[in-house]
Amino acid sequence: MNETMENNFQDHIQKVSQATKEWLQPDNLSLKKAIDKTVEEGMFSFEDIKFQIRTLKQKVDSGQVEEWAKRVELSEIKNSVGQKVLCLHAGNLPLVGFQDALGTILSGADYYGKLSKKDPYLLSSFLKMMDEVDLDIQIQYSTELADFKDLQADKVLFAGSEESVVPVQEELFKLNAVNDNTEFVIRTAKFSIAYLDNEEPETLRDMIEAVFRYGGKGCRSVAVIVSPFTLSKVKCHFTDYVEEFWLNNPQLKKPKENLAYQFAFNKAIERDQAWLDDFLVQETDDFPDQEFVLNWVVGDHNKVKELKSRFGNSVQTVYRTRENINGIKTEFLSNAQTPDLWWEPDGIGVV
Amino acid sequence: MEFEPYQIFDESVSFEEKALNIFKYQSENNPVYGRFCKALGIASSINIAEIPLLPIQAFKEKEIVTSKKNMSADGYQFFQSSGTSGMQRSKHIVVDPDLYKQSIFDGMWEFYDLHDYVIWAYTPGYNSSPNSSLVWMLNALIEREDSGHSKFLELDKSLLQSEIDKIRASGKNLMLFGAAFGLLDLAERSNVDLAKDTIVMETGGMKTFRREMTKQALHEQLAKDFGLPLEQIHSEYGMTELLSQAYSRGSEWFDCPSWMHVSIRNPENPMQEVEQGEEGLIGVTDLANFYSCSFILTGDKGIMNAENQFQVLGRWNPKNLRGCNFLIDQD
Repeated sequence: MNETMENNFQDHIQKVSQATKEWLQPDNLSLKKAIDKTVEEGMFSFEDIKFQIRTLKQKVDSGQVEEWAKRVELSEIKNSVGQKVLCLHAGNLPLVGFQDALGTILSGADYYGKLSKKDPYLLSSFLKMMDEVDLDIQIQYSTELADFKDLQADKVLFAGSEESVVPVQEELFKLNAVNDNTEFVIRTAKFSIAYLDNEEPETLRDMIEAVFRYGGKGCRSVAVIVSPFTLSKVKCHFTDYVEEFWLNNPQLKKPKENLAYQFAFNKAIERDQAWLDDFLVQETDDFPDQEFVLNWVVGDHNKVKELKSRFGNSVQTVYRTRENINGIKTEFLSNAQTPDLWWEPDGIGVV
Repeated sequence: MEFEPYQIFDESVSFEEKALNIFKYQSENNPVYGRFCKALGIASSINIAEIPLLPIQAFKEKEIVTSKKNMSADGYQFFQSSGTSGMQRSKHIVVDPDLYKQSIFDGMWEFYDLHDYVIWAYTPGYNSSPNSSLVWMLNALIEREDSGHSKFLELDKSLLQSEIDKIRASGKNLMLFGAAFGLLDLAERSNVDLAKDTIVMETGGMKTFRREMTKQALHEQLAKDFGLPLEQIHSEYGMTELLSQAYSRGSEWFDCPSWMHVSIRNPENPMQEVEQGEEGLIGVTDLANFYSCSFILTGDKGIMNAENQFQVLGRWNPKNLRGCNFLIDQD
């Protein structure tokens, strides 16, 4: 391989890393403004945004951009230069599209981002910074899908569901933004499962963070806890830690009236539950299909495996606190809301 | 005076009065429904719009019984939904089977002249289910009809022209009941000339599921394969948890008998009805569920028109509330 060529791509990686670090600096006025606007308009809480940015800063400052490039062996030969990648970003939590945007840019592909109207400021401040660096790639973004008319993207990244995939694809074809050769990378994971086998304060704090951060809206958020303990046994203990968490991280989005309906239903069928003002914890192994609800399941490792298999592609990650669960891939619970930059949504790497 | 179950068919009493009487009776005497109302803070003296609808899953979790006083001690009738092994199934205890029978007959009489019809039933997938409410209903209709031509059709056999001709000769019309895809199989297998006033009554269900198809496309296919006008393809909307049925007659809109009422509920707040024409969860008030629970929130998606007719738009799928999910109209 030609050394100069190799150096060119290393230079690209360095520029991306450096610009990301600069974007995350506390004195970055553009980011500060974006945060203020996001909070003012009630999109996300200041605490959730601060948590997300602090997490990203820790990862980036520890050299994870370069490490990510190394892990996927990005080089002058192995890269995505010349590829047009269209990212359709969701807006369920602050900067949820950051990883896709950074990964696409890092790979050398031309980045086209449809930003969510529910989170339009934070990611655009990052993209503005990237655009100002001399990166020799296209960076275009908009909150309007129509702005990608005639793009003819090589790849489209988005998170969807059975119902949303077809309308999205139809719309993209209508706009001529894609063609028959476009590769669609669609993520379907909706929530994560955790196995809780002890009541140590650190474990419980990790669990609370994993469940309640971002109002439980992320696919890395725990929606199902499997534990050898019954809910009634840990209810009081658990509640104390939740209150502590909410004191420091008030939940911005509140549940709808149907949560009270679910509470009444649980009462009717005599299902054990805990009503935590803005969240409902209920003992059931049903599919977690409601917002602001945590399902508590009494069981062992085999129950975790059964649920993972039953819930299929909806499960993002299975977390553990101590020993491994044989036969399935797990991550540590403490990493639930602080994943490495290269974490794999749906088990598929972004780059 | 205490409200009597068979008064639900009495048209001199308003639906509202009957529903409020039954609500009072059930909220006070049905332990599951009583706890539900109490947890919602609903008192017994309310108006009909405030009656809470019990989520239908309750029939999978508990026995929903308001009174067992007429039940036989040595066994009782119950219906159970179909399902694969390991799957939780709904169980509906039927304290008074005669009340169900009258609901079936009177309900059909509101829309069809039953004297005119021979009933044939083709129910693959249900026959092995001894507690199917659909099979029970069809059996009641077949037993009621006195020509001797009504029957359950044998599985995997074709329709015979000679038998169809016998119905024609008797001066009656054929009403052919069947689960959605079972009927398609039957139509494909059979090469017969049905009278143009034959009614094909599709009862929903995907028991012999073999393809994805909209209801509209299914009906068009059935009309084509049976050689009938589209308006002869009708539907029945019923389920294990209900003892009354609604019917659609050649369109996608369903009508209820007078003791059954459908409302479309806001999934984010099932105490509220949505605006006419908006999609929501189908709520059913079925007064024939006198001994279980008459106020049910189904898991089906539907809409209502100005004539109080409703359409069933499939299952409500709330699985996408969590996690990233890019939606054109929101993101």
